[in-house]
Amino acid sequence: MSQTVRPSPASRKPAGGKGTTSAGRGNPSARDGRTPTPKKPASRPEPAAEEAPVGFGDALDWLWKFFISRRTGLVLILVLGLMSLAGTLLEQAPGELRNDPQAYAGWLDSVKPKYGGWTWLLDKAGLFGTFSSWWFKGTLVLLTTSIVACSLHRIPQIMRRTGHPKAQPPDAFFDRSGLRAVIPVGPDPEEALALAAKTLRGKHFRAVVHEGGAAGRVSGTALYADRFRWAPYGSIAAHLGFVVVLLGAFLSASTGFKDTQFVAPVGYKVEVGHGTGLQLQALAFNDAYYDNGAPKDYASDLVLYDHGKQVARQTVRVNQPLSYGGVSFYQSFFGTAAGIKVTDAQQNVVSDTAVPLQWQSDDGKHSIGQLVMAAQKTQVYVVLPASGQVDPNIQAGQVQLEVYANGSSTPTATQVISQGKPTTIAGLTYTFQRERQFTGLIVARDPGVWLVWAGSAFLVTGIFLVFFFPYRRLWVLARRGPEGETTLHLAAQLKRDTAFEPQFRELVADLERAAATSTDTAPTSPRK
Amino acid sequence: MLNWSQYCVEAATILLALALMSSIFVLAVNRGATRTPELVAAGGGGGSVALAERPQEVAPARGGLAVYGSWLTRLALAFLTTALVLRGIVTGHGPFANQYEFAVAFGWGIVAAFAFFEYRYRVRALGLLVLPVAGGLLLYAMTVGAKADPLVPALQNNLLLTVHVALAIIAYGAFSVACAAGALYLISPPEGRRWLPKPEKLDEIAYRAVVIAFPLMTLVIILGAVWAQIAWGTYWSWDPKETASLFTWLIYGAYLHARVVRGWRGRRANWLLMLGFAAVLFTFFGNLFFGGLHSYSGVAK
Repeated sequence: MSQTVRPSPASRKPAGGKGTTSAGRGNPSARDGRTPTPKKPASRPEPAAEEAPVGFGDALDWLWKFFISRRTGLVLILVLGLMSLAGTLLEQAPGELRNDPQAYAGWLDSVKPKYGGWTWLLDKAGLFGTFSSWWFKGTLVLLTTSIVACSLHRIPQIMRRTGHPKAQPPDAFFDRSGLRAVIPVGPDPEEALALAAKTLRGKHFRAVVHEGGAAGRVSGTALYADRFRWAPYGSIAAHLGFVVVLLGAFLSASTGFKDTQFVAPVGYKVEVGHGTGLQLQALAFNDAYYDNGAPKDYASDLVLYDHGKQVARQTVRVNQPLSYGGVSFYQSFFGTAAGIKVTDAQQNVVSDTAVPLQWQSDDGKHSIGQLVMAAQKTQVYVVLPASGQVDPNIQAGQVQLEVYANGSSTPTATQVISQGKPTTIAGLTYTFQRERQFTGLIVARDPGVWLVWAGSAFLVTGIFLVFFFPYRRLWVLARRGPEGETTLHLAAQLKRDTAFEPQFRELVADLERAAATSTDTAPTSPRK
Repeated sequence: MLNWSQYCVEAATILLALALMSSIFVLAVNRGATRTPELVAAGGGGGSVALAERPQEVAPARGGLAVYGSWLTRLALAFLTTALVLRGIVTGHGPFANQYEFAVAFGWGIVAAFAFFEYRYRVRALGLLVLPVAGGLLLYAMTVGAKADPLVPALQNNLLLTVHVALAIIAYGAFSVACAAGALYLISPPEGRRWLPKPEKLDEIAYRAVVIAFPLMTLVIILGAVWAQIAWGTYWSWDPKETASLFTWLIYGAYLHARVVRGWRGRRANWLLMLGFAAVLFTFFGNLFFGGLHSYSGVAK
């Protein structure tokens, strides 16, 4: 048998022909990318290898092999899977709570009845905040490293495999491959191959007649054909897309801002803050309900100002956020606000705002808001009966004020005041102007989100390419028999692409038909 | 029209039960009968079999009753399709508003995936495992009740959510077929069982099903993230439903990689399919387990 110039699928198989060494999908040349090379010229036989000092290069080599190993990738995926399972099954402490030791201790106490003696262990293992635990992040970093290493490792392989299609298998491949067929054709091998090439091209294959083979091999002329040769890059795109999604998530978490408690009382201009220079004014808020009481619509009519100049106006609903200059406003909650004006003894206005009653009392009977007047070292809690609740002490058109001096835990005074009647408490005069609605918004700027979408696009496109446009190759050899008759030998690998088989059969049938019409040879039949 | 939709669901349930019975019966008959001799795959590298040696697609097992079984399944699929279409016309949105709608849709996905794979690969035995799951979901749907409530604000994103759910049910349906094929693979000894398709074939069917389902599942999660971004300003918030779907995705991702890792393909990979489908069911029913923590209805309150 003649020697081939390039390594060929069959020759790369281990002698046993078990066929388990492939790395790429359907890639017969898996392992040879980085075959371990002898570390030193061994003057002595075996023992030398064992005693060779382990150098920095060896460590790097080991690391590289570790990260490009598919097994490593698989184990990392499974570990991540286990962690997400834990994070799904176990209660997770809310993020803002985990930064506050006292609140977190309280939260731990609240889950103690559920987890008993395990609470301590689960807490120490970070499983109450699985997705922010160092070992979840660590696994993600390892997986990312593995994906990047694998991609770096595979890109040249794919380029070799798809870019140099003349790889020609030895003759034995045509007797051993997973898919093969023999078709008797006319006497001329060149013509027969041309016919095969034509048929394959008609089936959208790229067909390359291997020129060197004809002269060099005693056995005949060869042809290589493939389809969707760019599809293997889909695998790279998908894997790197996943990494890009992770990068986006990292960017989301480390830059931008998210304010989930932004409140805009209707009619008042509110500073957005976070260095945006934006002000927001809610002109109206409407909540609508179905007959059965289920919510139907929450709509805020919002006007946005950039440094005092109106730049946007939109009705924001739950699925219709307002976006301007990278900052987005999402409808999130709503409630009642009390418009309260405060003046001091000299009739100076200390505060004129609508206090959003955004908290509920523990018994759920009252809505509470907080008004802070820093200069006056005074805090005021504004209390109204919660929606649907009745408190005989606070009538319609009234609001209860609890005035606290800074640092004090007992109120200086608690008083119910009526709408439009200025009332002086502890030196300040409070006027309850009217009840207003407020709309609660999530305000966020997330520079990472576009990376997430871009990565997702790569991920999806890549996955679809890999699975729905399978890269397929086949080889054709034209052999001349002892009596001058020519046979076409088709061969392809079957490993992990069993769906190729029906297509291969169809190709063989087409080729048989083509051969039968172009020559007058006897009825053809596939044989081993 | 809602009533008619529900009658269709009931009819489909009965048809599925009949299809299951016919499957069991055919299997019992086949089990006793001898198999037509087939060429046994000879040696060959890595179990690959030359074209000429490879037996043709397994012929449909027995005519008669088995064919009725297939048609019963297809009829059930037609009824379920009608049920979903009628309901969609009445409610004006896809089947994503409540557990009833999604359970029926899930059942549709399973029956559709099964019908497709049965037609394509002639493997009726899958029905033994798939049909009870589909039937169970439909029964569950009936216990939940077919009440059609109008959409709360968070769900008022008809196109996005309809696509999201449509892809999800196809993915879930294909995952259930993969699970059934994997389970049959796992109960088969290496040489196969007489009344079942060959293990390699089961393994392949499972893989084919995942190849369809996994890309769709990826899209489902991404579309869910898009919706979350539009509705709440966060594409991902580690909500239990999200983490459960992430778990599912990772398990099937692991499966796809396991098939190219030595020592993992075959049995271990197929065990991952069992785990994966458990995760699918868990993701589906997760709303119930975690109802108190987070529900997808009435968010903006």
